[in-house]
Amino acid sequence: MKWKWLIFPALLALLLAPAMTVRAHGAHIEYTINMTVEIVAAYDTGTPMAGGQVTVYAPDDPATPWLEGVCDEDGRFVFTPDPTKPGTWDVQVRQAGHGDMVHIPIGEDVAMAGGGGYSTFQIVLMSACVIWGFVGTALFFSRNRRD
Amino acid sequence: MHIPDGILPITISAAGYATSGAATWHSLRKIGQKENAQASIPKASLLTAAFFVASWIHIPVPPTSVHLVLNGLLGAVLGYYAFPAILIGLFFQAVMFQHGGLTTLGVNATMMGVPAILAFFIFRLRRVVGKESHWAVGLFGFLAGAAGLGMAVLISWGLLITTIPAHLDVEAEQASIYALVLAHVPLIALEGFFTALVALFLQRVKPEMLEN
Repeated sequence: MKWKWLIFPALLALLLAPAMTVRAHGAHIEYTINMTVEIVAAYDTGTPMAGGQVTVYAPDDPATPWLEGVCDEDGRFVFTPDPTKPGTWDVQVRQAGHGDMVHIPIGEDVAMAGGGGYSTFQIVLMSACVIWGFVGTALFFSRNRRD
Repeated sequence: MHIPDGILPITISAAGYATSGAATWHSLRKIGQKENAQASIPKASLLTAAFFVASWIHIPVPPTSVHLVLNGLLGAVLGYYAFPAILIGLFFQAVMFQHGGLTTLGVNATMMGVPAILAFFIFRLRRVVGKESHWAVGLFGFLAGAAGLGMAVLISWGLLITTIPAHLDVEAEQASIYALVLAHVPLIALEGFFTALVALFLQRVKPEMLEN
């Protein structure tokens, strides 16, 4: 009747079986980094390019659109570039023949933010320099005429 | 109004450089035939500065806004000097502020410069109708300013509407182009009125500036 002594351990093993099963398997975690890119398109006046048509070109084929979309009412557009295609992604926004293209580095040389545009002070300073060039030209030729 | 880089096909951009090159050559040849070609350079230089700054003056035309161009004014006052003046102004706008573009510099110069020369001929018609009375200067000044911008808008419309890439929503792009053209109608009248005022002012204070 030695087998009767085995009943208790057998019942105990049966009760703990589910927990033991969980602990017996190795853990596995998968992760995905979704690096989204957000662009905001606006005219020189600051007016958002609402409804502007967006075309995204991947680095491996800059001639064929990789993604197309439309800016929201704030001129905003969000997309997730393919992480297997590092390089410079080109994003063009167009509306009524106006628009711009931005070049976004993705990969090792990723830039967390970027874009064009000058501050008001820079614009005024640059305009003043150019205008002074024109005025100076006018003064120079006026002087020659008087001489 | 200024067409930026990346909007037009490369063939159109190349054709724009060809036409602007021909127009520049023709304008410089006409300027060279003048007795004193340098005499008008101060006037041309100052109006080039005005053209350069004009693109920053935005006029709200709901739901959008447009900016001054002044190509008709330059044509009326400068004659053949207008084309190189516009070309130089556009170059600085593109290089300094990315307003327009270097690949589309020829297209933009043709689009605004050729109508400027047309405006010059329209303004000269005031001599055909009789002596240079105030009303003739005002009327043909208005027509020159309005026709200069009007023709530029038409050229821009023709270029944009025929070169919409197939991968875009063509109907949406067409609708926005038509809206932009319509928004320029008040500006055409405004620039005509402004050109007439400037012409009348110059006729009163310095009439020799209108002698092209």
